[in-house]
Amino acid sequence: MEDQTLIQISGLEIHRGSRLIISDLDFELMGGEVVALVGPNGCGKTTLLESSAGMHTISSGSIYWKYDLHGKKLVRDSEGRRHSLPPMGLTLQKNGMSGEETVQERIETVLKVSGCEFDNNKISELLDFWGLKHRSSDRVSQLSGGLARRLSVLSGLAPALLSKKPRAVLLDEPSEGLDESAKSLLINWLRALILRGHGIIIATHDSDLILSADRTLTFSDDRKIIFSSQSQPESDFVIPNSTNNIPIRKTSSLFNWAYRMEKRNPIDTINRLIPAILALFLSHTLVSEEDISALGFDFLSALILLPPFISVIIPPALIGRYAEENCGRWWSAVIGPQFRLSSSIIGSSILLPIPLIYLSWFILSDNISIANNSVVYWLWLPCLVMFLVAIAASSLHLLVSDLRRSGASIVSLLLLVLVWPFIELVDSLEMIIIDGMSMGISLDEPIFMMFLAGLISLLVWMVSVYLPEA
Amino acid sequence: MPSTKYYGWGLTCIGGAGVLLTAVMGYTYAPLVQSPPFRSPEAYRILFWHVPFAWTSFICFCLLFIGAISWFLKRKEWGWNLFCTGSDLGLLFGLGVVISGPIWGSAEWGVPWDWGDLRLNTFALLTAVALFIVLSRKAQPDGIETRDTLSTVGLFGFALVPITAVATTVYQKRHPSVIIAESSETGLDDKMLEVLILGVISFWILMAGLSILTYISYKMEDELQRLLDKIDEEVVH
Repeated sequence: MEDQTLIQISGLEIHRGSRLIISDLDFELMGGEVVALVGPNGCGKTTLLESSAGMHTISSGSIYWKYDLHGKKLVRDSEGRRHSLPPMGLTLQKNGMSGEETVQERIETVLKVSGCEFDNNKISELLDFWGLKHRSSDRVSQLSGGLARRLSVLSGLAPALLSKKPRAVLLDEPSEGLDESAKSLLINWLRALILRGHGIIIATHDSDLILSADRTLTFSDDRKIIFSSQSQPESDFVIPNSTNNIPIRKTSSLFNWAYRMEKRNPIDTINRLIPAILALFLSHTLVSEEDISALGFDFLSALILLPPFISVIIPPALIGRYAEENCGRWWSAVIGPQFRLSSSIIGSSILLPIPLIYLSWFILSDNISIANNSVVYWLWLPCLVMFLVAIAASSLHLLVSDLRRSGASIVSLLLLVLVWPFIELVDSLEMIIIDGMSMGISLDEPIFMMFLAGLISLLVWMVSVYLPEA
Repeated sequence: MPSTKYYGWGLTCIGGAGVLLTAVMGYTYAPLVQSPPFRSPEAYRILFWHVPFAWTSFICFCLLFIGAISWFLKRKEWGWNLFCTGSDLGLLFGLGVVISGPIWGSAEWGVPWDWGDLRLNTFALLTAVALFIVLSRKAQPDGIETRDTLSTVGLFGFALVPITAVATTVYQKRHPSVIIAESSETGLDDKMLEVLILGVISFWILMAGLSILTYISYKMEDELQRLLDKIDEEVVH
């Protein structure tokens, strides 16, 4: 007989600072049951629910999930081992959605990352159930609090609803902000979903939801957890049919999501472009008024590389989007350990340095007699290195954004390290301007300096991406 | 038997007095260097603080590193306290290095900073990392995630040392080589050596005293937090 266990937690212990939140907890979520986590504020309901999804560092114990192909597999343990989750449904206490995405896009994204086949009709059917069909093209930011919560809850339930295979669904305070009819719909869906073999954990204060659960985990005053069961009548509520499972596309979905958000509201591009262009104009004024040959070609090289450098070290707009309604935490849970790596690339300014370097070159070198005409043919090399500087900067911003009050930390202190690749680039460009490009590999050759600049950036990137996941 | 706190205060006072005495002796007892090779002979006297600052801050950065590793691998409370102590004192003594260095550099080299110098940049970076950690620790709510991220930054700072080494070794080095180790060859006067040794020992005593006091204050903060948590629980339940 097939093992019905969807999540298995053993010996879980979690601290918040020096405070012990959860101690030595053993718990299994079986397919076909709704488990309610109950207790007063701050007792650890949300911590347990989020830890089940591998979102928290744990002091001891291990968390296993059932995978379609591999059976039971470790998701997170106290030794720091971490693997991405199988497809699942997740609704966080905050909605976990960006205000920029539309209602339809949200459901599409959720279904793509959980490998569920869908078409527009299916999405309309789901939205119709939750009274959101007429809002399908609207941005999440245009929805009222209640409607946004409906969408968030539907996003949590949809991966299980459309899956033929048993899925775990984690819902944190799902009824918060829902009206009575939506709450009743939620309870009906929960009862109907478990008949298909799915397992659901809800952290809640809502007495109706608690009454609809098969099992209750009550957090007592002395940090003990009391388990109790109650029988439930079988539901005859009709929910939409499941669809076929398709290949899961997590990272590509994140990329598409980020691209759509930026296309709709290009904060990132504009935030990076404005200071870079300003720097370029100021540099142009300086070059026009001063005798550049007196200042030196190292100065000219620095001015040429300054606008693209400024553009790459600006904080990525992606981090702001992640901060909205815990959107980044939702993505982090869904993508797993690869989240930081993917985000550091997606969030960085990859393309912008290319036009900026060429533009700087053409504008700033216009009035200066440069003997070597081949410089323009080799500008792609600093562009390439600048790309590595960009992902290194982006990864440092991401590292700091992990802090709960990331806005209160001064990330520029860490960005100082990127001054060195910049200086290497300046020196190598100066050499190309004066002597032309050379392919020698000694320490004083431009190609070696660019390699060094790239290597430093690459190392910074790897350290700030892999160390936090270690 | 006196408590650890009194040892802390005692060492801090002795160290502080020694540091002041070093400054006085640096001006009065230590002889003037010759010009050339020194461009600005009077300015050299700052080395009696600059070098001990550098050596002491390096010990503090080592404490920071050991604390970060201990927290990262074992999640030990003492490791976190050591990390906090190392970052506080690393910042204090590191700032001493990066402030006194450019003052000397301006007088001796004509420029306050050399972006191509390994030791200058490594210290500046480590000091920046310590500043980041100290400011962030004050601004962030304490928690396992905050501690993980900040100890990652601490390790990141140390991981960057070899990176900056690679970056800067290709540049010329203006910074003088290690002074004490080469004293006989470089002709460092015996009186200068005496003052320098006094400075180093005084700074180390000062650091030991401040470490004890800082460590005690963090332990007290822990205790206070535990009591506050207890009251929170009583209020909630």
